[in-house]
Amino acid sequence: MATVLIDNLTKIFPPTATHPSQVQALGGVNISVTGNVLVAILGPSGSGKTTLLNIVAGVEEPTSGTVRAVQDSVPAQISYVFQEPRLLPWRTVVDNMLYVQDRKSDRSRREAEFYLSMVGLSEVGDLYPSQLSAGMQQRVGIARAFLVNPDVLLMDEPFSHLDALTGRSLREYVQRIWLQTRKTALLVTHDVNEAVELADRIVLLRPGGVIYDDIPVDLPRPRFPDNPAVRDVQADVLRRFDSMGAAVQFGGARR
Amino acid sequence: MSAVPSVAPDAISQLSAQELRRSVWRRWGLRSTVVIGWVVFVGVWYLFSSFLGQALLPPLHTVVNRAWELITEGGFGSNLISSVTRLVGGFLLALVAGTGVGLLIAYNDWWRNLLQGPLQLIISLPTISLAVMTLILFGISPLGPVLMTMLVAIPYITMNVAQGITGVDRKLIVMSEAFGRTRRQIVKDILVPSSILSTLGGARLAFAVAWRMELLAEVFASSQGIGFQIRRSFESYDTQAMLAWTVLFVAVMLLFENFVLRRIDRWAGRWRMQDWGANP
Repeated sequence: MATVLIDNLTKIFPPTATHPSQVQALGGVNISVTGNVLVAILGPSGSGKTTLLNIVAGVEEPTSGTVRAVQDSVPAQISYVFQEPRLLPWRTVVDNMLYVQDRKSDRSRREAEFYLSMVGLSEVGDLYPSQLSAGMQQRVGIARAFLVNPDVLLMDEPFSHLDALTGRSLREYVQRIWLQTRKTALLVTHDVNEAVELADRIVLLRPGGVIYDDIPVDLPRPRFPDNPAVRDVQADVLRRFDSMGAAVQFGGARR
Repeated sequence: MSAVPSVAPDAISQLSAQELRRSVWRRWGLRSTVVIGWVVFVGVWYLFSSFLGQALLPPLHTVVNRAWELITEGGFGSNLISSVTRLVGGFLLALVAGTGVGLLIAYNDWWRNLLQGPLQLIISLPTISLAVMTLILFGISPLGPVLMTMLVAIPYITMNVAQGITGVDRKLIVMSEAFGRTRRQIVKDILVPSSILSTLGGARLAFAVAWRMELLAEVFASSQGIGFQIRRSFESYDTQAMLAWTVLFVAVMLLFENFVLRRIDRWAGRWRMQDWGANP
């Protein structure tokens, strides 16, 4: 069983030419995620969501605090779905997927094709990314993330660059694959509807990277946006989100 | 609700036929301009030849005949091999050295500041001065042309390698790190393919500069090769042979540029041409 332990995590970016003063992206974040759950980190722009995910992925160093991602006491295999697909333009779709795998065999190729079919792209394996639409490219990014059979799956606003319809259909794909694989997952988003549809728990982050609220989402799956129960929870989270906005306003944003 | 104007199927097919005809004419029009360009070039040659006289500028057909004689009985093959060997030697050395220096420049600003000045200096050096320096430093030997060819080609390769690497999409590197790819994998699968097109562009440019330098260095500091033959023809006032050697060498270089370098370039960038695809 995978566990992600985020302990008193702080990230302060030093002053730059564009930001003359230092910027606090995360201010002592504590999150513990255990088991096959999908946790959404919900917050407005500047709340340090992506920074948090980058630190968990190990591509950014924290200023202080620790992150541990383990699977049965050994470091967990982490996988990442980015805001944009980040595919290598000179490789075909299947080769892009195989790039993130350590072993390259006929079997891994078949696995890549299997995950492509899971996102409805069984016919595009030999095409180049430039031959695909933005939505199709993002689906490849999602399939790639599942291909490595991760212990922990990180998703950084994976639908934010897509139009509403494509984003909605992609959410359905993610939900379907996640239900089949049940990976420990962290989803960063600023979309309340998306968080409620996908997550078992929503952590509200306010600007400056401080946790404001931690909301369990106890709804049956699969969830659909038109479902009244889903809409009720969305309304509740939105109320809390708005009150956080007020708290931020009255308390003063840190950046 | 606005009504959709109805168009008879016949009108559509008539329109398509017109479009098709227009597109064929346009294509042939473009192709014919290439022919017109060559016809104008040949015409201007004959015009100047008639003004200047055969001794100064022989008519084109006599130059072509002489070139054919050189190929069949005048030692064109051995001289070409001599020139091309030195050119390829210098060019390959430049490719290795230029790539190394380019990597250093891309690595950090310290190297960039250190090397940018000397490279700009080399680019600005007149090739004629370099050719004379070749003679002074190395005398009549094959080494001089090789080293000078390398020297003039290096800056073009260096600049393009550095540009290719600094232009790599950082997000792809972050993606690779997030998926636990090693530094070696990142170099092999991200940095090299990202910079290969820019490097090849630089290599083509360097090659074009290199063969001119090679020819010039041979004119001054060699006892064989096409450059040397051009000098010999010049010394014996044989303009026809001089032009024939030049035409032959230029033809070989253009063939190499079009049928080898350009094809490699197209092969390396084949993924860029695949943008006509699906968009459901």
